[in-house]
Formats: sequence, C-alpha cells, structure tokens
Amino acid sequence: MSASDLPRKEANVLKGHEGAVLAARFNGDGNYCLSCGKDRTIRLWNPHRGIQIKTYKSHGREVRDVHCTSDNSKLVSCGGDRQIFYWDVSTGRVIRKFRGHDSEVNAVKFNEYSSVVVSAGYDQSLRAWDCRSHSTEPIQIIDAFSDSVMSVCLTKTEIIGGSVDGTVRTFDIRIGREISDDLGQPVNCISLSNDGNCILAGCLDSTIRLLDRSTGELLQEYKGHTCKSFKMDCCLTNTDAHVTGGSEDGFIYFWDLVDASVISSFRVHTSVVTSVSYHPKDNCMITASVDGTIRVWKT
Amino acid sequence: MDSDEEDFVFYGTPVEREEGIASRKKKAIAESSGNLRSLPSWKQEVRDEEGRRRFHGAFTGGFSAGYYNTAGSKEGWTPQSFTSSRKNRAEVKQQNILNFLDEDEKAELEGRSLAASSQFDTFGFTAAELARKQAEKEQQSRPSAIPGPVPDEIVLPATDSVGMNLLKKMGWRYGHSLKDSHSSSLYEARREARKAFLAFTSDEAKPELSTSEPTEDGLENLLEQPSESETKPSKSTPVYVLDPKQDLHGLGYDPYKDAPEFREKKRQHTSGGREHGQRRPFSSRDNLFGFKSKNMAPGFGIGALEELDAEDEDVYGSGYDFEETLIEEAEEPSKVGIEVQDSRPRLTGKEHGILPGFRLASNSDYQLERFDPPVIPKDFEPRHKFPGPLESNSRLSDPPPLEVPPPEDSNLKVLIEGVATLVARCGKLFEDLSREKNQSNQLYSFLIGGNFHDYYVRKLWEERQKSNQTKLSLEGKESSVPRMTAESRGRILGERPLERSMVTPTSTDAPADVKFPTNLVDTFTKSEVFSELLEVSKPFKDNPAKQERFEQFLKEKYRGGLRSTDSGGASYMSESARARERLDFEAAAEAIEKARLAKESTPFSQRFTEFSAGGMQFTSAGVEEVKPIQTEELTKKIVPKREEFQWRPSPILCKRFDLIDPYMGKPPPAPRIRSKLDSLFFVPDSFKASGTEEKVTSRRDASTVPQSDNQESKNVVEEEPEVHVEIENVERPVDLYKAIFYDDSEDEGEISVANTLENPEKKVEAANATLNRLIAGDFLESLGKELGLEVPPELPPATKQAKNASQKEVGHDNKNNFSDPKLTQEGVLLEIKEPVHTLARGGEKPASNDSPEKRSGDLNMNLVPPNENTVRNSSNRHEEKLDSSSSEDERSRRGSRRHHYSSESDSDSSRERHYSSSKRRKRGSSREREKRSSRRKHSKRRKHRDKDSPERSQYRSERERGESKRDNRR
Repeated sequence: MSASDLPRKEANVLKGHEGAVLAARFNGDGNYCLSCGKDRTIRLWNPHRGIQIKTYKSHGREVRDVHCTSDNSKLVSCGGDRQIFYWDVSTGRVIRKFRGHDSEVNAVKFNEYSSVVVSAGYDQSLRAWDCRSHSTEPIQIIDAFSDSVMSVCLTKTEIIGGSVDGTVRTFDIRIGREISDDLGQPVNCISLSNDGNCILAGCLDSTIRLLDRSTGELLQEYKGHTCKSFKMDCCLTNTDAHVTGGSEDGFIYFWDLVDASVISSFRVHTSVVTSVSYHPKDNCMITASVDGTIRVWKT
Repeated sequence: MDSDEEDFVFYGTPVEREEGIASRKKKAIAESSGNLRSLPSWKQEVRDEEGRRRFHGAFTGGFSAGYYNTAGSKEGWTPQSFTSSRKNRAEVKQQNILNFLDEDEKAELEGRSLAASSQFDTFGFTAAELARKQAEKEQQSRPSAIPGPVPDEIVLPATDSVGMNLLKKMGWRYGHSLKDSHSSSLYEARREARKAFLAFTSDEAKPELSTSEPTEDGLENLLEQPSESETKPSKSTPVYVLDPKQDLHGLGYDPYKDAPEFREKKRQHTSGGREHGQRRPFSSRDNLFGFKSKNMAPGFGIGALEELDAEDEDVYGSGYDFEETLIEEAEEPSKVGIEVQDSRPRLTGKEHGILPGFRLASNSDYQLERFDPPVIPKDFEPRHKFPGPLESNSRLSDPPPLEVPPPEDSNLKVLIEGVATLVARCGKLFEDLSREKNQSNQLYSFLIGGNFHDYYVRKLWEERQKSNQTKLSLEGKESSVPRMTAESRGRILGERPLERSMVTPTSTDAPADVKFPTNLVDTFTKSEVFSELLEVSKPFKDNPAKQERFEQFLKEKYRGGLRSTDSGGASYMSESARARERLDFEAAAEAIEKARLAKESTPFSQRFTEFSAGGMQFTSAGVEEVKPIQTEELTKKIVPKREEFQWRPSPILCKRFDLIDPYMGKPPPAPRIRSKLDSLFFVPDSFKASGTEEKVTSRRDASTVPQSDNQESKNVVEEEPEVHVEIENVERPVDLYKAIFYDDSEDEGEISVANTLENPEKKVEAANATLNRLIAGDFLESLGKELGLEVPPELPPATKQAKNASQKEVGHDNKNNFSDPKLTQEGVLLEIKEPVHTLARGGEKPASNDSPEKRSGDLNMNLVPPNENTVRNSSNRHEEKLDSSSSEDERSRRGSRRHHYSSESDSDSSRERHYSSSKRRKRGSSREREKRSSRRKHSKRRKHRDKDSPERSQYRSERERGESKRDNRR
C-alpha cells in the first residue's frame, strides 16, 4: 500500500454521542463500528452509510472500551462503574455483569472463541471472565502489574497487557509463562500487528514503540504526535505498512512502519483524538474524539 | 458457658431458632430484588446494583414508586392499544393530572382548590372557568364538527360578576384603568420599553409575554394591569394572541413538554434581555438538573446517591468557563437584546435600537483599556546567560592581539596551535598545568613568554573566538535536540576545514620525526575523535600504505562533505580492489566507532577535567560533546528489558482458550501462602538477591525439578558451604505450610504405586550389583570423608562397603524431609541410638547434592522457630516408639533397597533407566513433600510413615545416584 492510499478523505461524520467519545472500534468484518463515551452509552453504527443503528444504555458511568465478538452477536463493554457488561447485540439487553474490579476498568477484549472476556483495570490487574458459565467471578486474576493496566490484547494463546508501570506483559497460557517487556515509559495502548509478530505500544512520552514479540526487541519508535495525558489509541493499518495514531491536538498521524517517518498528518478533530480503528480489510479508518464525533475516513 | 457446652454430647441437629431463620429469610428476600414484589409495598426497598438504596423521587422523600416499582399495574402492563384516529378522533383525549388521580385524591384536590364564588368574582375568573368547563362537557357529550376540545379562548365568560357590574356602574369600561393616578413615570417608561420591544419582536414576543407575566409579582400585576390597558388588555378579558407558527413542529406539539428547562433556555436564547432586571438568567447551576461541579462533563448528571468526584469532571475540558461569560454578557444592561437575537432582529434593532427615553451616548465612559505588551528589543535573547566559568566569554571583548607570523618550524607551529586550541577549550587551567609540567621543556617556552609567545597568544585568541562562535551558532539553533551532522561535530571538535590543507600533511608526517611526546602532538594536530580512533586501533598496521589511506578515509568520513573520488585508494588500484578496500574501511571504521562509543561511557568532558587536574570547569567543548552522548544514552535507556516469570493460568482459562493446561496435574500453587509464611517466619534475604532463575523457581512449585536438577549438577562441583548459601531459602515455606496443614489422605495410594514401580527395577538392577558396588562405594566413601560423616556401627559385614556407600549417599541427598535440626546437630548420637531409624529416614547428615528445594527445606527447618522443632521432635518420639515388628519389617526392606541402589549406582546399562527414574522423581518430589508434611502432622499414622519412608529414600537414592554418576562422568 502506498502512502497515497491512506484514508484521508472524510466519508462520514457520526454524530450522536453527547460528550467525549472514548473509544470507537470496527467489528470483526469492518461493516459496523461501535463507539462508547462519556455519555454512558454504547452506540452501534454503520460507518459506511453514516447511520446509527442502536444505542446501548446501562452503564452508570462513562464507558471506556467496547469490543464485539467475531460473530457479532455479543458485546462487552467496561467503564468507570467498575463493571463489565456483557450485552446481547440484537436485543440490547445486558446478559451479564461482571463485577470484581476494584476500580475503573480501562479496556476489555473477547478471546478468539468469545468465551472469555479479559479486562484491564485501574486496580493494576487483568481479569478474565467466563462468558459460558453463570459465574460472575473472574476465572483468573493477573496482578503482576504495578500500576494501572491501560490496554489489553488477546491472541489465541496469550494475554497481553500494557500498563502505566511501563511494562508490556505477555501471559502465555500455553506454556504458563509471563514475559515482561519494560519500556520504561507508561504504556497507553497496545495493539497487535496483523501478522501477530509485533506489538505497537503507545507510550505517554509521545512515542509509539514497535516491539518484536519474540525477542522483546525495540524495532522502531514513532514520534511527532502529542500524547502526554490522555488515553489514546494507536494501531497499524490493515496491511501493516503504516502506523497510525491520534494526537492530543486533534491531528492524526501516519508513519511509515519501517523508517518511522511521518507520511501524513492532518487535522481530523477539534479536540483530542481518543481512538483510532482501522478497517480490517479496506483502506478505511474511524477516529473518535473528545469533541463527540466519530469520523470515517476513506481514500 | 462455652466450655460447659463443649462437655455435653448433643444428639441430632439442633433446631434453629425461629426468629433467626425468619430474619435471615427476610433479609434474603429483601436482597434478591426478584422477590421484591412478594413484599408489601411499605417493606420494599429499591436498591441499585451496588446495593445502595435507590429513591424514587428523591426530593420528595422518596419511596418505592409505581406498582411495586414497576411501570405496570395490577393487571399487568398493558400499553394503550392503538386505535385509528381517523374514525374516532374525538375520543383522543388530552391527559391531565386528573386522569391519574384516584377518586379520593381527586376529592382531596377538589376540596382544596380555592375559588371565588361567582358572586364575588370580580373579574369573572371563576365564571369563565365554569363556563369553560360547561362547554367542555357539552363538547364531549355531542361531538361537533370541529374535532377535539374547543380551544379555551373561544369560550367566553357568559356572566358579569357583581364587582364588574359595580365597576361598570361607576363608569368603568373595559380597557380603562382602575387607578389612573398611579401611572407614574416608572410605569410609563416600562410600558414604552415594552412597546418598543413588541414593535421589533412582535412575532415572538407575545407568547412569551403571556407566559412570563405570571412570574411577576401578583399584587403589582393586578394593580398594574389596567394601567397598561391601551396596549395590553387586562386579564379579565381574554386576549386572543395571534401566535404565528414559526417552527416546524406539528400543531399543538410542544417539544419542551418533558424538558421545560430547555424552553427556558430557548426563550433566553431568542429574547435575550427583555426583562433582564426581573428574570434571572438561566444558569445551569441553579437548576435542579444542574451539575454540582463546574468542571462536570457536559450533558450528564450523576445519580442522587452518588457523589461527585474527580472522575466526573471533564478532563477534556479546555478549562475556560464559557457558561459564566455568557451569562455575564446577558446581564450586561445595554444592548443584549440585540446581540443575543442574532441576525434577524439586528437590522431592525439598529433602527429602533434606542429605547425611547434613551439616546445613544456620544462618548461612553466605559472604555476598554488596553495594555500593550512591552516591546521586546530586537537583540533580546530569551535565555539567561550565566557569567560562565569560561574565561573566554569574559575575554571576548579583549582587543585581538597582533597578528604574528607563525614560526618557521612547522612542528613547533603545530604544537603551539594545538596547545592554543586545547587551552581555548579547556580553560586557563590547562595552560597553567602544561606550563608547570613543561617548564624545563624548551619546546614549551612559548607558554612562559618565549620566542613565540605572541604567536601563541594570537592563536589562543583566535581559538577562543572560534569556539565562541560555534557555541553561539549552536545556541542559535532552534531545535532543542542537537542533531549531529559530520560538519557540526567537526566544528565542535575544533576541526578547521579551512586550514585543512595545512594541517593534514603534518598529521601524517609529524609523529614520525618529532621528539616530544608523540601522543600529545597527535591530539593537537588531529581532531580528537580521529586521533582517538587511531589510538584505539590501527586496523591496517601491517600495510602502512593502506593504513594511511584508511586514515585519510576516516578523516573524510568525519569531516563530512563530499568525498573526492580518488580518496578511497591509490590510483594504481583497480576499481574492484578499491571498492573492496572501501568496504573494508567502512567496516573497520564502524567497528572503531563502536568501540569508541563503548569507551565514551566516561564522557569526553570527564577526560578533559581529569586532564586539567580535577578542575571543576567544564569547557564549552566538553559540555557540547556530552550532549550527543546523552541522547544516545537516552535512546539506549529505553531499550526494553525483557524478563520472564512463571505464570499459572487457571485450568478453566485454559479450557476456555481451548488449550492444554501447562500445569495440568500439578499441585496448586501456593505463592500467597508462601509469602504469608515468609513474613511470619523467615527473613526473605537471599530470595530477593537471587537472580531471575531463582525467581522462577520460587514462583513455580512442583515444576522446579528440572531446574533444580541443573543446579544440583552444578552444585556438586562446588564447595559445600557455598552450595548451602546459594540454595538457602528457596521454596522452603511451601514445605512448611504443607507440613503443617496438608492432609496425607492420598499418601497410601501413591506409596503403593511407587512401590510397584520400584520392584521390577530392583530385580534388574540386582544383576549389576557387584560391579557397581565397588565403583559407587569408592566414590561415596571419598565423599563421605569429605563430609566428615560417620559410618553407622551395625552393618552386616557382607554388605558393609555397599552400605557405607549407600549411607553416605543417603546422607548426601537428605532431602529428608524430616531432617530435624535436632537430629542434624546430634546426628551421631541419634544414629548410635537408633541406627535403624536413621537409615529408614535416609540419614540426617547435611545435604550436599540435592535439589535446592529439598535442601532448602532442610535448612529451613534449621531456621524454623522452636515450635516447629517441637513438632518434629514429637514425631521423632513417635518414631522412636516403633514397635519391633515394624522396625524389623523396615530393616528387611531397607536391606533390599540398599542392594538396589548400590547395584544400580553406576553402569551404562542402567543409565537410561536411571534417567527415567529421575523423571519419575520429579513427579514424586511433590508427593514426597506432602508425605513428609503429613507425617509431621499426623504422627499417629505411624504405619503409613513406615511404609513410605523406604520408598522415599529410594527416590532419593536414585536421584543421588544420578548426580554421582554425572560427577563421575565429569
């Protein structure tokens, strides 16, 4: 993919959230997207047509993260009310609430089979919750971190968490080992490359770092944007050719994966860009911001 | 009381007390919100997910609401069924409060409402009301052509009241005021103002008037109304305000029905300052729904029972309070009306803008005073310059010394220039130092004031000038991050590209024929980095020509700029050779560079300061030199550190991830317990000091065995005491815990299994007995000597050697779980007393080559406080009390065991088996621990103990054998 294929044209603006949008995520096939925000709602959109499909209300405080199963039937969300909500997409009802985090929950993800939800909390722990049983107790608590866990990623066999203590910890279930990569800077967001070999870690020193997962080597650093005080996302494009991430000044940046040069940066929002999500297949991207809008970008 | 009760024997299950059950039940019912409905309504408590009480209508005292907190009714929740409005339109009713009131409530309401009787209804309010009601009733009884309720306004009061009649008699008419005298100037002005306002906002003002009027003071209103009757009739005559429809809502639709606060807002928005004096501007903070914090994120409140804390604040807010400013603007008396009503009324506002009775001031007192920022002088530098340690700074203003021709001797010239450069960079101290050092040296006479002192002074001045310039240029650079280019580096290092033609030839030639310290000259004549590189290594020493070319190459490289094409090699070289050489050079330069960087960890500047006899002055060059290094270090610092730990996923997690549990079948971890015990009993000293490997071992539990094996083998070669130290503290608390708390219910089964496994091996191994006995015996004997162990006295002579060996073996590994401190201390004594016993337990001698955990277990025992000892002692005592039969039994078994391990001890044929057995041991080790612990606890279960003790020691012996074998191989 060349730089010209970057999604730079605004295709749609999704308006509806009152107040800041804290996360926006494509679903598994990229046809829909989910957003959540300070207004305690989760909204389901069709970003390509620019319409809102459904609103999910139940959270008592802001919703910080949302994730959708691969079959699009269930949602999981978390937020400031320390609970994790497990939703039915079509009916909009809460199937289960997982309580146990001692503090706000920052991020949440389904595993591959949508049987486990792993949440990352301000209480310095990762917790795994079982969606199959009726138990609302966590089936695993990982408290290896020494500060708030900001982000979590799951592979088929691993749980990866990024924390403010500067570590990215990989918990390999298969071999029962924990691998800790200390970056020395608070990690804001982690995201996996599409080939699964690298971790992109957005740090609070306005740097995004690319780590090799097998060796823990620092492959590249991406700088230029501002990320000092807000939880902001970063991700790789669908072809892994570019790294993209928001900035606190409302800009979005595209870096070349290999030589870390800023290929493109332009203003997408009037305020902090809290979240970016890249379409799994197409050159399409959504950005969410504190200004309450979600914007869809296409080439 | 309690003790009394304990003495009684109770039969059956006690009947629980009625009230206890009842209250608990009630509680349980109340807890489960699902059962809430079964409670009478006054007992219902609504709670939210957190279990806090939720009030409905929290501001009215709040209890449960609706039908048992639902929106339903007794009959269930039935939505209003849809009916076509085309056919029965008349039936569509407007709901009012009476529809929702019970009969008694209605009666209550009716009784309470006050109304003047028609007789004293001065202005006909009650009459109008009655008439309206009448009309409504009629309307309902016979539907008219106009569907829906008749608008109130159409129905007129039919009667005149007594008061009205009286007034009329007195000459009053509709439209006349009651109190003409009262029309003071204030009212006049107000009326005027209102009129003017109406004039330019006639379209929307009227509805607002009607709504805003009631907010005014009632009495005043009443009195005032007639006075304004010319423009606005009193309320006694209903006024039909033509309300032009301006919005796009349906007829009769009120968008603000459920959100009256927005109506307010809208009104404020459209008619900014109409009655600013009376009406309080809308402020969200006064509102019921308003936020309790200024920084509250917009749009959302929080529950009545939740407290507003930091996280509710709008972190994304810009920090400016826009709302505040807006309100202030609205309160500003002059021209708000015009301002807030945007665009549309603006033009008309301009025309009529001035209220009657007012005129625009030609000059207002209110003037915004502006203070311009102070003018910054052009040459101002936004940085504080310290009166630095550099003398060069202060001396900058010195007049330049006279230009002096350089000395003829090129060497001397080079030297002088070099010294000048250094002094300029390092400060006066260096000059003093070198002067002192080289007092006797003729060559340095220029320092003291010899022949070329003038030239030196001149050069010094030049250098200072130069370094200053570089500094300035560096400072002038905008970028805070110093980007090093070859050129800038050269400048910092004091290379002089302009004089290159002059310097370079000397650089290569000079060292050869100069008598004074060549190194010094080297540093002077060449750039520091360059010279350093050369000092570090001369990669092409054997080929001087090539070396020369390489130096040239380096120079080019570090000077930057364009490389001349022929610089790479001599002209006689072929193209390919040159290319190859070039590659060589690149590689060599890189290697040197790396070496230099490594060396650079003691920064350049430090070397300089060392040079200047510990002078505290960092020179400008030095400081700047450090910068790039620091940045390098910064980037280096961020290199992620990788650590690995043991982590135990829960079985169910593995199941859900569709993975096989890596710890399947292994005993559950007890990290938490261990830590607890650690804090209770031990000082976690060496535990913390130990490396990651040990961390790993400490984290894991049973799976430590492979690693511990490694350690064993390592430890065997090492000296005994060291081994002890190293292994101390690893893992012991687990043992202790198990020793105290674990149940040994599974022991029996395991033992029997182990025994059956053991037996066939024994048979096979017996074949090799005689051969191995000798070898193993020798080795173990020597080990035994080393350890200073004693040979137990009563051994059958035939197997004496073997037993000797075996016993030592036993002594070595001594994972012996019971190894009580007492025994280790008084080992000899006990052994003499009860040789059988000690053997059975595998000996109490200090461990040498055992798995760390085991040994640590022993050592722990040593560290354990007395109560632990007593436990073990008691168990000992039990063992001492063994009856003869069991001891006999044991002895025989032991004999076989002895055979077994001595025979097995070292032969190639048994090696494989032996590994497998060691593998088995891994499994067994955890079991052993449990067993051990169980024994300690349940000392009464002697039988089991007796049974498993041989088995355990067999394990041990096998392991130990493995180790000894390894040793032998070594």
